[in-house]
Amino acid sequence: MIPDFDQQGKAQTKEWTPDVQAPAILLENVSKSYGRIFALSNITLALNGGVTGILGMNGAGKSTLFNILMGKIKVSQGSVKLFGTNPWKNPAPYARVGFVPEHEKMYDWMTAHGFVSTFARLNGLTRDEAGIEADRVLDFVGLTDVAYKKIGQFSKGMRQRVKIAHALVNDPELIILDEPLQGCDPLARTTIMNVIRELGKMGRTVLVSSHILQEIERITEQIVILHQGRLLALGNLHSIRERLDQIPHSISIESENPKALAKDIIDIDEVFGISFPGGQNVSIQTHNLGAIHSRLPKIIVDNNHKVSSIDNPDDDLASILGYLTSGGRV
Amino acid sequence: MATKPDTVFRSLDRKAAAMIEFTLRQYRTRTSTWVVLGVGFTALALIFMIYIDVMGSEFESVDNDGDSFDYDGDGYPTGQELRLGTDPFSDESHPGMFDPPINPEPASNYINEDGFDWDVTASIGEQTTGYDDDGDCLNSDKTDSQKDTNDNGIPCDIIIQITTSPTGQMSFNVIADDGVDEDPDEDAYSREATHIAFVLAIGKLGFVLLLGIFLPLFMATGLIREEMTSGTMHFMIAKPIARSEIFLYRVLGYLGIVWPYIIVLGLLGALVSGFVGSGDEFFRFADLGVWLAIVFATMMATLVYGMMFNALGVLWKYGIILAIPFAAWELGMALLSMGVPDATILRFSVIGWALMIVDSAAMLVWPSLDMFILMGDWGGGGTGSDIFGSSSLRGSDPLNFFSSKPGLGLSAFASTIVATLVLLVQAVVFWFLGGVLFKGKEIQ
Repeated sequence: MIPDFDQQGKAQTKEWTPDVQAPAILLENVSKSYGRIFALSNITLALNGGVTGILGMNGAGKSTLFNILMGKIKVSQGSVKLFGTNPWKNPAPYARVGFVPEHEKMYDWMTAHGFVSTFARLNGLTRDEAGIEADRVLDFVGLTDVAYKKIGQFSKGMRQRVKIAHALVNDPELIILDEPLQGCDPLARTTIMNVIRELGKMGRTVLVSSHILQEIERITEQIVILHQGRLLALGNLHSIRERLDQIPHSISIESENPKALAKDIIDIDEVFGISFPGGQNVSIQTHNLGAIHSRLPKIIVDNNHKVSSIDNPDDDLASILGYLTSGGRV
Repeated sequence: MATKPDTVFRSLDRKAAAMIEFTLRQYRTRTSTWVVLGVGFTALALIFMIYIDVMGSEFESVDNDGDSFDYDGDGYPTGQELRLGTDPFSDESHPGMFDPPINPEPASNYINEDGFDWDVTASIGEQTTGYDDDGDCLNSDKTDSQKDTNDNGIPCDIIIQITTSPTGQMSFNVIADDGVDEDPDEDAYSREATHIAFVLAIGKLGFVLLLGIFLPLFMATGLIREEMTSGTMHFMIAKPIARSEIFLYRVLGYLGIVWPYIIVLGLLGALVSGFVGSGDEFFRFADLGVWLAIVFATMMATLVYGMMFNALGVLWKYGIILAIPFAAWELGMALLSMGVPDATILRFSVIGWALMIVDSAAMLVWPSLDMFILMGDWGGGGTGSDIFGSSSLRGSDPLNFFSSKPGLGLSAFASTIVATLVLLVQAVVFWFLGGVLFKGKEIQ
């Protein structure tokens, strides 16, 4: 409740010049605490160029990290710099940033074009420029057909794409997307992933958060793993993966004839155990997840099994986190 | 498209325009906006209907001096007998016995027969005014000392004493000779007084207080807060725009809908009261000055309260609860300003300054309002009781209540300037406070 008097938000009363030497994002020993609970503790991170996935369970600190980057909350300790400037004190760097918030609430009464162009004008564009830019970015995310429809009528995936378009309208160097794939249908997912990959190829710095490993895997290899407010891992997903493959996994398959399926699967070398947890399910234990996934489809198709679902209950973030927190370091 | 240099200020302009336009369109899509504006319109329309009804009704004429009666039953009203020197209490003595005999006049000739003949531009000191229209002072067989009961050496006149206290408060005293200006035209006086009282009441309570507080209460409190609670604030603050700018532009957007609304309502009010109001002229053009001041004062009030309530909304999720005590305080101050316009405590309110603008304009448009009220207070002759329980002419007490002098002791023009400046400073202070609060807010 006590106002922060030292914040000097002055927009662009003088022309803001970014520090060319500075990376897009620079966090140094950043901590954020609420009372005695640390939402983020001692994060040091510098990012410049390419697509980076921020992985973490719910409550790991992803949103806190983004809120700090977007100047919405103040750090308890440490320093945050966007292009060399502290965003809490000066919003000027946002001229080069596009942000896709996680919140679902949008202005339902606006058209997609109206929303994108209105908020483009908050970057200092004229009405005409904003209109042209809005057309451009709506085309980029594939929403040209519905540009003049009300956002209220849009599906979840379309709304996400409008938000992404709105974030790209100022041609930003740094794009931050908070859970952009959450709740989207497969088609929207593919479109959004393509858009993100495209941005990466264009040399932009892109930050994508997710709590689902497979999603991030399809977008980028460079990941940051947050766990309980700490930076757990930073680097290439493959190196993490390789180590992960050494630990046992289980795959659960639901099929019309689980016994017959089990008989065919047992021939795979990498499988070291099969169990029937009940119902139509068969559970496979393996050390090499990749090998199973590459051979499983062929076996199912060749033997004409009717499979309704394949689940990797622990082939997700939890298993990586379990592995990493149990002493393994990448 | 002409190419203009892309200055910092031009880009600020664009952001302001975008945010204001956005806020306006957002208001337009909300049902609550139309409900609030509709309720405001209805409330004022009701007050105007009462006003039209009152102005359309007859103000009963009263025989204040009782000379229309025929006490002795000889068929001649007392006034006629007095004027012609017969005994009004004896049927043995009446003008019918004259040679040639004089016919009785209708009693109505002796109602409202001695109206006000006052010099309303009286200044401080003692002056003499008034004229005995019906001759019951001048022409009767009174002695010189009976004609000069106020003892100033002038027969059949009225002494008006105006004094000022060291604090600048004016006080009046009226000493009249018997039978001078004693039977005024109630309808003319009350119609004018009621009209002015209504314009001031509607302006001060209906516009400045009611619209001035309730529009911002329902429309400005959520300008920032609703965006914060709904989560859409993220879109705004993720832009290269300072939070105090967002705060300001949101308020400007709110004014963009509230100010035209006030102007339209003020125009309607001016039209209705201009046509319905008292007087011989077709339209009361002079009153437009007061309406202008009412509209301006309401606009200033909505500006200051808009900034204040928006800041309260930023301060706390339930900012409207914080705003209500302010509204109550302002209501108290508004009532106080009618009675004690120079009370120091009024300087710590918004409404006190806004009402000063209305009072100043009233002082310019109706410069002799004090004398006019005094006239009504004095001229009732103990017959025209009204809801205020006094015996003054109808309309003078409400007029006395709703009109007041701008409390600074300055001229009307200077008071307006000072009040406007103070209101602007208040608005800037609340903008600054709101901006600081908003900057310090962590938005989840």
